[in-house]
Amino acid sequence: MNDANLKTRVETDAQQITQQIVVDEVFPHAPQTIWRTLTTGDLIGRWLMEPTGFEPVEGKRFTFQTKPAGAWDGVIHCQVLEVIANERLAYSWKSGDEKNVGYGSRLDTVVTWTLTKVGSATRLRLVHSGFVTPKNDSAFDSMGGAWPKVVQSIGSLAGESH
Amino acid sequence: MKAMLQVAPLDVVMRSLADPTRRAVFERIALSDETTVAELTEGSGVTQSAISQHLRSLKEAGLVVDRAQGRNVYYRVEQKGLAPLVDWMSHYGVFWRKRFTKLRSLLKEIDP
Repeated sequence: MNDANLKTRVETDAQQITQQIVVDEVFPHAPQTIWRTLTTGDLIGRWLMEPTGFEPVEGKRFTFQTKPAGAWDGVIHCQVLEVIANERLAYSWKSGDEKNVGYGSRLDTVVTWTLTKVGSATRLRLVHSGFVTPKNDSAFDSMGGAWPKVVQSIGSLAGESH
Repeated sequence: MKAMLQVAPLDVVMRSLADPTRRAVFERIALSDETTVAELTEGSGVTQSAISQHLRSLKEAGLVVDRAQGRNVYYRVEQKGLAPLVDWMSHYGVFWRKRFTKLRSLLKEIDP
């Protein structure tokens, strides 16, 4: 099997996948403290982006203004889907435009935060789900061709990471 | 300060592929449909037991899967194995990791 076949296989597989991004880290703070940073407008603005109209109330709609791209005005439209104080927060995250590819492509996704107490610390898990590949993931598409090169460069990346 | 370190799938994938020989083994599996230890050893300049060890690491990292048929074990690439890496490299993967870093500093500031 040659490179072209590998690429086809990766792309075929990609068409069937809805991707999600998961970031999962332990923070040396109580869940209540972390909850405050996730659900207070001023604090959200200090680490994520400044929200307009955010309230931790199910059904509440709010927006983030970010960098426009092509036909997209850069506004991320969100709606609070689930609120369980100090445990779980979910909101929809819709942005982009059909005409864009890569950054600014049409997104209809959900962001879910889960807090779990681990001793005196808290595990914070972010799941950003609903990326439809390859439409929403230009990386996936272009990486089909760049696969071997990417794999080669991992050696140096991994060297830096620990 | 990191209170606890957990081994994320990304670390496992990167660590497994950080070894040049193991990476070469992975690439050879990726370029074949399915292959055996014997085929991988042939002309590799590495012993069969070394190849087997690399295969074990790749399997533990979720990068390859195997199936036994008769006396042979066939290895192929697990297509979703590189997903943690794709996430990490994609726009939102980078976006959220940066945000986690900012959140960590903010928390340190408001709750020292």
